Amino acid sequence: MFAFTVRRLVQMVVVLWAVSVIVFLMMTFTGDPVYMVVPIDATQSEIDQARRILGLDRPMIVQYGIFLSGLLQGDFGLSYVFRQPAFGLILERLPATMEIVLVAMAFATAVAIPLGVYAGANPGKPLSRLIMSGSLLGVSLPGFWVGMMLIWVLAVEYRIFPSSGRGTVGTIFGVETSLATASGWQHIVLPAVTLSVGTLAIVLRMTRAGMMEVTRQDYMKFARAKGVSRRGVLYGHGLRNALIPVVTIFGLQLGDLIAFATITETIFAWPGMGKLLIDSIYRADRPVIVVYLMLVALIFVVINFVIDVLYTLIDPRITVK
Amino acid sequence: MTLHLTMRRLLTTATLALALPFATLADAKDLTIGLTSDPTILDPQAGEELSSNIMFYHVYDPLVRRDADLQFGPGLAESWSQKDEKTWVFKLRPGVKFHNGETLKASDVVFTIDRLKASVMSNLSANIASATAVDDLTVEIATPGPYAALPNDLAAILILNEAYVKSVGDAELGLKPMGTGPYQLKEWAKEDRLTLEAFPDYYGGKAKIDTVVFRPITNPATRTAALLTGELDVVQDLAVRDIERVKAETGVTVLTRPSLLNILLALDVREKSPTIALDKNPMTDRRVREAIARAIDVATIDKVIMNGLATASQQYVPESHLGYVDGVDFRAMYPFDIARAKALMAEAGFADGFAMTLDATNNRYVNDAQIAQALASMLAKIGIQLKLNLMPKSNFWGYIRVPSDNSSLIMSGWDVPSGDAGSMYGALYYSRDKKPGYGEVNRTGYTNPEVDALLDKADSTSKLDERDAHLQEATRILLQDIPMVPVHYEQDVYASRSGVTFTPRVDKFIWAYEMDVAE
Repeated sequence: MFAFTVRRLVQMVVVLWAVSVIVFLMMTFTGDPVYMVVPIDATQSEIDQARRILGLDRPMIVQYGIFLSGLLQGDFGLSYVFRQPAFGLILERLPATMEIVLVAMAFATAVAIPLGVYAGANPGKPLSRLIMSGSLLGVSLPGFWVGMMLIWVLAVEYRIFPSSGRGTVGTIFGVETSLATASGWQHIVLPAVTLSVGTLAIVLRMTRAGMMEVTRQDYMKFARAKGVSRRGVLYGHGLRNALIPVVTIFGLQLGDLIAFATITETIFAWPGMGKLLIDSIYRADRPVIVVYLMLVALIFVVINFVIDVLYTLIDPRITVK
Repeated sequence: MTLHLTMRRLLTTATLALALPFATLADAKDLTIGLTSDPTILDPQAGEELSSNIMFYHVYDPLVRRDADLQFGPGLAESWSQKDEKTWVFKLRPGVKFHNGETLKASDVVFTIDRLKASVMSNLSANIASATAVDDLTVEIATPGPYAALPNDLAAILILNEAYVKSVGDAELGLKPMGTGPYQLKEWAKEDRLTLEAFPDYYGGKAKIDTVVFRPITNPATRTAALLTGELDVVQDLAVRDIERVKAETGVTVLTRPSLLNILLALDVREKSPTIALDKNPMTDRRVREAIARAIDVATIDKVIMNGLATASQQYVPESHLGYVDGVDFRAMYPFDIARAKALMAEAGFADGFAMTLDATNNRYVNDAQIAQALASMLAKIGIQLKLNLMPKSNFWGYIRVPSDNSSLIMSGWDVPSGDAGSMYGALYYSRDKKPGYGEVNRTGYTNPEVDALLDKADSTSKLDERDAHLQEATRILLQDIPMVPVHYEQDVYASRSGVTFTPRVDKFIWAYEMDVAE
């Protein structure tokens, strides 16, 4: 386990380094940030001076070197537009993104697992068929369309939920979050549901497939014969084994949700880091884009690591080496 | 059955509980305004884009103020006069309070101008040599030479409090602005809301609206939705496709106003043009330039592509500006006329036409990509084959930069918020490399000693009417020479809830001090 952890940590560092190189190279194509910063009729000397101040007059490789050495000292550079530390800007918006991602994830799980277990245990019933066609819809509908429809029906037509924004923010354990207030919860429902649709459908389908697989196993029949209730068999014996592939998907989906929150955040004007990314691309704000992509890469790498560890907890037969 | 009923009641209650506070959000003297983007930084000497500017003018005041039609009036300066050709004297309004209770002093103005001169992010102070405090309420501003447009520049310079800036530092100032303006910052939850509160001791009297909330909503459809749900009272940049839908709604008004943004087509007039394969650039011939002007059917572009939400531009600057010539209209000089355009091309020896590339943005101006396509099909009719080179704005400005010279034909927009054609002409039409600070973005390579001389004269007089006369003369010559074809002014579209007094301003500023809401 220890060797495994060390090896994975080294891998993680290598992956992040590779991401930093790729992202930095890609930045050459996003346009020249100087022109987004100086006034439109700026003189050449003003442009040159701004370029010097932003450090853009150096060769790309030197800029990368400065970026990397800054990175190792925990300095992620200043945003060209906000003139503030890029990492701080992203951290500021991280709670907003995490809260819709977590609520979306919780919602998806709470709905998908019971429905998946039911559909898997009773494959022939009409309700199961309904659930399955619904999940197909969930997989295929694009998130932005679902979001617009929810706004149209539940915000504009029926006025049950607000259409945009984060509402009043409260504090839980020192973190500012919408989850602490009623107004915050009102605002979070639509974006979180929108974000959850794809994941919900996928988790549901995985759970069902797992359950169908598991119900055919002898130990299930044996447990039933032993007198364990149907519910007990399904959730106690079946679900536990059916969940192994679901956990992998769950982890990957979590990463996906953080990355895809970008679109949902834009539609609902949710002040998360995805919206910051879009705005930063628009403004060619290089430091923010680089730090964001590296952070998302880090999240993915960590999630994968955690999944591997979780495997062993769910199924002791799997060992990590 | 009972179970179902209970479930339903439970759901209804839950929904109501969630929905209740939402319904009571609206309050009599509060106003929520939906903007297209959040300010980036609240230091008025570090940011320049519109959203930041809107906030700056709520929190800070300039010495000279402009009204909704860009007419000058006193701001923090009660009056001003010219001591000599190069020296202006500004008398400050006595007893003006900053939000922290301090009184405005001449030293604050001097501090502000000195700080601006040290900054590279703004070129507003280029025509200021120095500022000196004569006494507590008198500031003398010296210009490097005679310069009549000083008040124009000062209208865009917002006065900071010296002691405050020194105590909080630059980074903090960008987050917590503090000035003499009608509103003070209450809260800025980045990307979600920026709340302003009326400043009770404002020198012009307390604003009618107590609390103004600005909400950045990038997605135009979401802005429309939030207006329809009543979450917003005013929205900026209503999507063109939503106009009919919003008009059908009772209690909501759609407002439009031509903006200052002039879409211009810049024609390369140098001997050799980078994207034209011929030995000599055809556009050096004035007849070819006139042919291009006549081949472009601006009325059709505005009707078909802009849905009528554009105004054909008559000159390079709008009517309200210094340098505008009354009664002169580019469209009347060169009406749309394909036959005449073809004849001009033939006269110039290009009956078979030629090919070149048009550089344009695809995410900067309203329907920019479609306009570029329309231009290509219009110019094809007189034999000019346009290859379109469309790119996002973050690439565009670097691509067309002077002196890299990639372009033969560029479509871009210009606005002159100072209300004075001088700065634009000096940057766009003054001969390149002749005088520092002039011709810096002269992308057409246009050079005309007569225009240069007129701009020199305009920039070296201390009398505004003389400056105006020189600039008008330059306008006449430019409209004859056609280094650029003016296309149209975009129209700004807003929507507001009824009961809100809101008149769009020509400079796009949303200015809550001018607004009111019915009880």
